Amino acid sequence: MDVNATSRLCRSTFRVDRITCCALFCLVFVGASWVSAEQKVDFAKQVAPIFQQHCIRCHSDDDRQGELSLASVDDLNENEFVIPGQPDASYLLEVIMAQEGEPPAMPQEAERLKDAEVQTIRRWIQQGAAWPAEVRIKQASKADASWWAYQPLQVFPKPHSIDEFISAKHQKHDLRFAQRADRRTLIRRLSFDLHGLPPTPEQIKRFVSDPDPNAYQKLVDRMLDSPRYGERFAQHWLDLAHYGDTHGFERDKRRDNAWRYRDYVIQAFNDDKPYSRFLQEQIAGDVLWPNDPQAVIATGFLAAGPWDFVGQVETKSPALRRAARSLDLDDMATQVMTASMAMTVNCARCHDHKLDPITQREYYQLRAVFAGIKRTDRVVSEQALQDYQDQKETLRMQRNALDAAAAQLTGRSIDLADVVGGGNGFGTGMFRQAIDPRNAKVQTRDFGNLGNVIVNRFSRSDHPLVDGVFIADGKAGQAEVPISSTEVTVSGLPTTSGKAWDMIRNGPVASQHSTTIDGIDFTGPGHHLIGLHANAGITFDLSAAREVLLSKQVTQRADDEATAGDQSLAGELRFTAKLGYFGASGSNVADAWVFLDGKRVAEFRKLKRDDGLQAIDVNIPTKSKFLTLLATDGGNGYGMDQIGFGDPQLRLSKLPRPSQETQRRVAKLKQRRDRVEQQLLELGPTPEFYGVASTEKGAERSVPEVRLLSRGNPESPSGHALEPGSFAALSMLQPQLGTLQSNQGERRVALANWITHRDNPLTKRVIVNRLWQWHFGTGLVSTPSDFGYGGARPSHPQLLDWLAGELVANQGSLKAMHRLIVNSRTYQQVSVIHRVDTPSSERTNPARVDADNRLLWRQNPRRVEAEVIRDSVLHVSGKLNMQQGGPGFEDFTYQEAYAPIYTYVTADSKPLWRRSIYRYRVRTTPDRFLTTLDCPDPANMTPQRLTTTTPLQSLALYNNELMLRQARYFAQRVSEEAGAKPSDQVQRAFQLALGRAAEMEELQWAVSLVQQQGLFVLCRSLFNANEFVYVD
Amino acid sequence: MSTNPNEPSRREFLRQAGGGLGSFALAAMLAEEANAGSSESGTHHLAKAKRVIQIFCPGGMSQVDTFDYKPELAKRNGTTFDPDGKLQFFASKPGNCQGSHWKFRQHGESGLWISDLFPKLAGCVDDMAFIYSMHSKSALHGPACFMMNTGFTLPGFPCMGSWVTYGLGSEADDLPAFVVLPDPRGLPPGGIINWGAGFLPAQHQATTLDANNRQQPIADLFPAAGIEEVTETSEQAGLDFLGKLNRLHQTSRAGNSELEARIKAYEMAARLQLSAPEATDLGQESKATQELYGLQHPEAGPFARQCLLARRLVQRGVRFVQIYCGAENTTAKKIRPNWDSHEDLPRDHGYWGSVLDNGAAALLTDLKQQGMLEETLVICTTEFGRQPAAQGAAAKGRDHNAGAFTAWLAGGGIKGGVGYGATDELGFQSVVNPTYSYDLHATALHLLGIDHQRLTFYHNGIERRLTDVHGHLIREILA
Repeated sequence: MDVNATSRLCRSTFRVDRITCCALFCLVFVGASWVSAEQKVDFAKQVAPIFQQHCIRCHSDDDRQGELSLASVDDLNENEFVIPGQPDASYLLEVIMAQEGEPPAMPQEAERLKDAEVQTIRRWIQQGAAWPAEVRIKQASKADASWWAYQPLQVFPKPHSIDEFISAKHQKHDLRFAQRADRRTLIRRLSFDLHGLPPTPEQIKRFVSDPDPNAYQKLVDRMLDSPRYGERFAQHWLDLAHYGDTHGFERDKRRDNAWRYRDYVIQAFNDDKPYSRFLQEQIAGDVLWPNDPQAVIATGFLAAGPWDFVGQVETKSPALRRAARSLDLDDMATQVMTASMAMTVNCARCHDHKLDPITQREYYQLRAVFAGIKRTDRVVSEQALQDYQDQKETLRMQRNALDAAAAQLTGRSIDLADVVGGGNGFGTGMFRQAIDPRNAKVQTRDFGNLGNVIVNRFSRSDHPLVDGVFIADGKAGQAEVPISSTEVTVSGLPTTSGKAWDMIRNGPVASQHSTTIDGIDFTGPGHHLIGLHANAGITFDLSAAREVLLSKQVTQRADDEATAGDQSLAGELRFTAKLGYFGASGSNVADAWVFLDGKRVAEFRKLKRDDGLQAIDVNIPTKSKFLTLLATDGGNGYGMDQIGFGDPQLRLSKLPRPSQETQRRVAKLKQRRDRVEQQLLELGPTPEFYGVASTEKGAERSVPEVRLLSRGNPESPSGHALEPGSFAALSMLQPQLGTLQSNQGERRVALANWITHRDNPLTKRVIVNRLWQWHFGTGLVSTPSDFGYGGARPSHPQLLDWLAGELVANQGSLKAMHRLIVNSRTYQQVSVIHRVDTPSSERTNPARVDADNRLLWRQNPRRVEAEVIRDSVLHVSGKLNMQQGGPGFEDFTYQEAYAPIYTYVTADSKPLWRRSIYRYRVRTTPDRFLTTLDCPDPANMTPQRLTTTTPLQSLALYNNELMLRQARYFAQRVSEEAGAKPSDQVQRAFQLALGRAAEMEELQWAVSLVQQQGLFVLCRSLFNANEFVYVD
Repeated sequence: MSTNPNEPSRREFLRQAGGGLGSFALAAMLAEEANAGSSESGTHHLAKAKRVIQIFCPGGMSQVDTFDYKPELAKRNGTTFDPDGKLQFFASKPGNCQGSHWKFRQHGESGLWISDLFPKLAGCVDDMAFIYSMHSKSALHGPACFMMNTGFTLPGFPCMGSWVTYGLGSEADDLPAFVVLPDPRGLPPGGIINWGAGFLPAQHQATTLDANNRQQPIADLFPAAGIEEVTETSEQAGLDFLGKLNRLHQTSRAGNSELEARIKAYEMAARLQLSAPEATDLGQESKATQELYGLQHPEAGPFARQCLLARRLVQRGVRFVQIYCGAENTTAKKIRPNWDSHEDLPRDHGYWGSVLDNGAAALLTDLKQQGMLEETLVICTTEFGRQPAAQGAAAKGRDHNAGAFTAWLAGGGIKGGVGYGATDELGFQSVVNPTYSYDLHATALHLLGIDHQRLTFYHNGIERRLTDVHGHLIREILA
């Protein structure tokens, strides 16, 4: 769509109105006409400042109230408000002059023009109304470079403390510190603050009874050393990064490697990574420290937000792609600058920032920093990938060797997938090694659509157990399709496309949609898969297989008992497998066939993914020579037709029973195998993460040009290509971040260095303010991601600067800052509002002097966040699973579709009872339970959580199945730990949930409740108590 | 009629639970809540409409097959649409000109044109105002749905329903202020966040209602099934205990109003348990009303139920109801799951058209009969339109078109039987008074007594508005 064209049309329609309006004014205008020949008016120096001061706020290029702009000479020519040389006929002059006692019509929302200013304009018009084209009038921002936030940090020659600064303000307002909270309150506050969990009764007891006067400091140290700390603070940072595990927008596809960045943030906090380094890694870690996997993964920060797959990839329209890309770059630039420096740069996308000294040009120069990168899955490093693959291959080989050894002892079954992979059927084959259906050659690399296909031609294989392969086209049943080296043929097969994709593989074929059906991943431990894409077929040599299975080594061990039953059945075999359509759900179908010596013994027509697994169990008589597996395309094209035979095995129908010695040896092998399997599991997924990569490809080595976009419209670039840059408002720093020739990596490094420069005061102010907010609920600046004119002013500017200085003095250690804050008297105050015992004046009642407690005459009570409520419930019920790191848990079922369907389930198993930081965040379908409890939408960068109180929250906490089940577990736990006596149960339940004993009155109520209704009801009520979700 | 024999007794005990709480002044508290988010008390000016029912047809409804009569397009049927071959639509290059798949006729006293796709709505034409010149900033479903709902193509912004309740609060004393009725087949493109509150406080989130779920018309309204410890007596005893515990906790923390609010929220939740099942019980409606909506129709019935439910909700004081006529992420494959008719528009618009026609016409008729139309603003929109050129080998589809679509409004201060704006002669681009969502939103807010420029919320550096920095009142369609 051409946005410009429509805008123009829009303007022309409105012009009609304006001209009418103008004519009307002319009728009533009676103006004085006088002319004086005076010196030449300088437009830029004399007239432009008047327009800027009085007119431009409403009549600018991007506002155009009354469809009028006074920004450029083009505007002047367009609007015809000025007739050069004829001041009295110029409408502009008329509206700024008083008319017959009436005040001037304009300006409506600014100070009226002084007479002298009116005369200047009159003279300018009289002299020809010259307006040099290069003079463009822009609205001045409200704040300029002298704004407080851009000034250097104040230096404090003498040592100070937090309490000193707070106390100084108290004194000015006749306020005092509240008393220090008791130890029980303090440990609960600290525990929620630093860990996001309530303390256990044992932790409380230990702290409360600790005789050491430094017990509190020791507690703080212990808590900061715990991995729970990183899990807690990572959520704060992920809020700023608007992190999610899906792309969002229409398709909302999975982003399965995103979690590595989440784990990075947790680890960075736990390791107390210096803050500058933390930022540098997240902006340019892959360039600065390419060999440090953590630094590389850190760039997941830039990619953490939503991303429109349809707009950037799927659509064929270049204009739509440009629009989506423009928003993509805006997202990256905005996130970096609001998170690190609380600059609302995105306000300058369409025009200069109206409040802060941020020009539109600077905004696009910032975008030039990111113009050479795109969001993508990428490997942590080639080396890491190689190490991972080597390790995995070694372990797999160990496992296979153990399997083969066990099979030698007992197995007596040939794994046909292993055979396809070149193995002996007992685990010596290579995973994903393959046989070419065109010529039976062994292949290891991936293929796509195969060329040079000759259908219905049989190719013999060198493998002793494989007779050969072919590609089938039944030609409506007419073709005789050869399926063996002995010229056995099959007829009656349907017509196919005659095409084939990739190879016949030990494992999935190239680009296979999935390897999992009905919950079984056939690449997982103990499973095997023949990947057979339509229209390929493979024939196994049964005589050879029988020979192997009957051979002395396999069947007739001296210590085995004799084969039971009829010896004439000794050569009878069984073929078993689990067949499935492994392509995507939808209208795609394929057929699968099994033949014995060309005789059809199983067929599956129009098989779809949704049909699930089909069990195949074929009895093979002693005289059968060939087993053939074939996939055909179902007549609707061969795309996605990924047929797979899971766990395909050939074995003797009758098996001898193993001796005790054999069983003992097998058990030992199994133990070793389990250990290897565990190591494989611990190896985890491939070292890939979701981050950013260069858009450079092939010969195109340069970063795409960035130009200023008029009104933010991607179809209206203007001016020349912009060099990467930042903001001149921070006058102590150089805004240049490179040249047009700088590559994308250099640009990001330059930005990272600019943001973390030792002279940059804003970065430091912003992070210490965030820390303050995370401990007090409100920052010293109450708008943590906006330190500009539109944001709040600091309540304690000196304290803010002093804290920023302390951060520098502590080499950027955030843990040092936590210690400083939580060890302060300010932090340790009680949160309950003072009771004023004697009637007092307004001045001495702190609740009246400072109702919002901005001056911190007490601590703020706080309701804990959605995730903390969930984690606390699990913690108190005893079910919280403390497993750290790795892919997120999914408390939903996932259904593949154009837009995948995520359906939530009640978390009622250990893997789903992990901490909320480890949950898989779906953007389009957020977890309703958490959303109801104020968990924010990850589309937004959230610098501060909102707290609401709604009936839906009550319903969620009182009735949701998770809550009820956890209340049940809580009750079970209490009765296990406290025995059968109701009063003991009540006390234990109070200790666990609220961290205190029940008081006399409560005890009475609760005991009677337990006696009459059972322990469950008490536990459910405690989870809903105000005290459970509010921290003093 | 209730299908759950336990319900009356459950209601009864909840009524007692609610009633036993004595001095609880619900109305006063609601009034407090209503004003808590808004800097103004009351409205900016006199409101014509008190409530809104918005029907959203996701997928992109074709303007040229429905409301926007283009005889020139029919004349050029089969001729080249894009002689230069320069245009590239969302998914295809344009095919030939393709006239409407349905015949257009004039209807009512106004004589406005409507296609035969909407025989029933055609009878309401004199109550409807059409904006023929709608356009969008995106031709992608996700961003365009976001724009129509929130004024922004990015996710994360509050939708109109959230803004309206933020500005006006609730009119109901026992039902949520903002209710969404999604298509029973699934979520629209972009998912739940289409009706998200964005950065507005969570109390302005939509509540989704499921009238087909008699057990839980609102999620977690009643305790989850299968927990045998939950009994009616234990339910009340537990709430009583909770109340006492909370009161005791509060005595030593006087002055913390949040604690008081939270106690009251449990009392309000109890009220909701009474009112929601009643409001969603369509069996209470007369046979004539049920027949008017055609509730039993296998295809059109589900949407008609949502329309009737919407009427019941606004009747009970719900401020804003949004109904979806179409889904996105569903596995139902019989036809397109929404209006997105790339391959076979006669099939897909044919299906969805009759669904919309039946439900929306019944809703307008019903509101009028009940005397509610005057104070109820009904809005029907889609996220973008479709191309006048054909798409696909069979030339039966149409690609996305952000350049033009039609929205209509009725009731609540809207002048009926008028059209505003126009597209070009082929229905390709809006050319007379092109209108973004901003103007539609500004006009809707105006009818509710709200100046769209003064309904703001500070977020990350900006005083945000539903209308961004745009929006003009469309006076031409006001009564």
